[in-house]
Amino acid sequence: MELLIQFLSNTGYYLADYRHVIMLCVACVFLYLAIAKEYEPLLLLPIGFGIIVGNVPFFKGFGLGIYEPNSVLHYLYFGVTTGIYPSIVFLGLGAMTDFSSLLLRPKLMLLGAAAQMGIYFTLLSALALGFMPKEAASIAIIGGADGPTSIFLTAKLAPHLIGPIAIAAYSYMALIPIIQPPIMRLLTTKKERLIRMPEDERTVSRKELLIFPVIGVILCCFLAPASIPLLGTFFFGNILRVSGVVDRLAKTASSAIIDTATIFLGFTVGASTQADVFLTPKSVGIFALGAIAFSIATASGVLFAKILNLFSKSKINPLLGAAGVSAVPGSAREVHLVGQHEDPGNYLLMHAMACNSSGVIGSAICAGILWSFMV
Amino acid sequence: MFFFKFTKIDFRCFRRCSVYGIEAINAYNGWAMALAGALIVMCGLAVLSFVISKLHIVVDLMEKRKQDSPDASLAIPSASSKPALTAEHDLSNLESSVACYYTETAKLGKTFTLQDLFAVFRECDFPHPHLTIRSLKEKGLLIPAGEGLFTWKG
Repeated sequence: MELLIQFLSNTGYYLADYRHVIMLCVACVFLYLAIAKEYEPLLLLPIGFGIIVGNVPFFKGFGLGIYEPNSVLHYLYFGVTTGIYPSIVFLGLGAMTDFSSLLLRPKLMLLGAAAQMGIYFTLLSALALGFMPKEAASIAIIGGADGPTSIFLTAKLAPHLIGPIAIAAYSYMALIPIIQPPIMRLLTTKKERLIRMPEDERTVSRKELLIFPVIGVILCCFLAPASIPLLGTFFFGNILRVSGVVDRLAKTASSAIIDTATIFLGFTVGASTQADVFLTPKSVGIFALGAIAFSIATASGVLFAKILNLFSKSKINPLLGAAGVSAVPGSAREVHLVGQHEDPGNYLLMHAMACNSSGVIGSAICAGILWSFMV
Repeated sequence: MFFFKFTKIDFRCFRRCSVYGIEAINAYNGWAMALAGALIVMCGLAVLSFVISKLHIVVDLMEKRKQDSPDASLAIPSASSKPALTAEHDLSNLESSVACYYTETAKLGKTFTLQDLFAVFRECDFPHPHLTIRSLKEKGLLIPAGEGLFTWKG
């Protein structure tokens, strides 16, 4: 009888409290969004299920929890805390990215740069709200709209905030179809939304595609060496793809490797989001600042495009500025859809992809800059 | 059934920092970090954008030098050398040019992708390959064969 009582007192049912129930409900919402609504399922499904696993109550000291040394989850979480998984994800992203649209329209890279202003505005807001500088930098990078970058920087600067920041970053990325279109419509006139971008007059040669990753990694990593783990692997993955001589490696990087890293990244980030870490006033602040970061990033890209139009003979459709955030390809798709809504013959997708690609590079550079400021 | 445990809310988390607002930003050099960071990323991407915009000019220059080099001029023309540009390759006279295009693209097979066709046109130095393909499609001389493939009419 005593044995049975002891066993029962070690079960999750006995150890659970209301906070675990809340987290399980949050997990179910994520699973619903991923499966039923298909909002970023590659991210939300592992995170949602990870939250369920991470919030099963257990008796501490058995080496079960993600924060307990020698537990299986702890070993898997190692890739998050050391920044390994984000680097591997960037390797796969580089192997999947086609920079032709960016190389054809280099001017649009400036929109990707402008959209990173959301990061710095959020940095100031987070400091004003009383967050410490390293925490503020980790929260600010949510404005880059890049999950792996957010996790990478947070793991280096404020590892105790990985859970809420990752959840906030991925949640807002999944909600791009809801967040961005109203901002785009608010800041642009109908006439501006109808601007058609010029047709391409040339094609990108193979030599350009080969030279770009080399130049990109040299210019960007010399500027912000702290971004080497992200941009180094990103451009490496890209040169694997464009070289044409290592197709096997490129295929593996863009499929098995990135999928494996995504699974473990999402699952362990979710499992790290335990009730005592997540259900705090800080998390509310992080979510609020994350929404501000996304909105300001979208707005700054759009407004910069409008400013460029004041000085440029050939007009840029300001909607493209919203694609300067790093959420590939979600924000490019949204820009294209908003443009199509106004004019079904207006194809903005490839132009938006140019801004998106530059946003990936821009957000990684910003992460490197913020890390070097804080060290 | 599980047992609910009600725990106290820890108010210590509110006391994370004693300064707020503008004072906090000033205390942590926030303005300098934001301004410097924004400038650095803008300048960095502007430089990268400038370099990319000149990249194709440099690549074209390198290719032109290679063609103009003495080694290139001494090369013996092979039997399968590229055909000379003729008036037949005029966009306004596409119908008569189709036979010529058909001959050059025979190696692609009966159906082919537009990318392969474009590559052959560039190899053969046909003028304006992009516009030519578009015109061929518009005039119905190049027709879709399903699954992203195209074929010559007739």
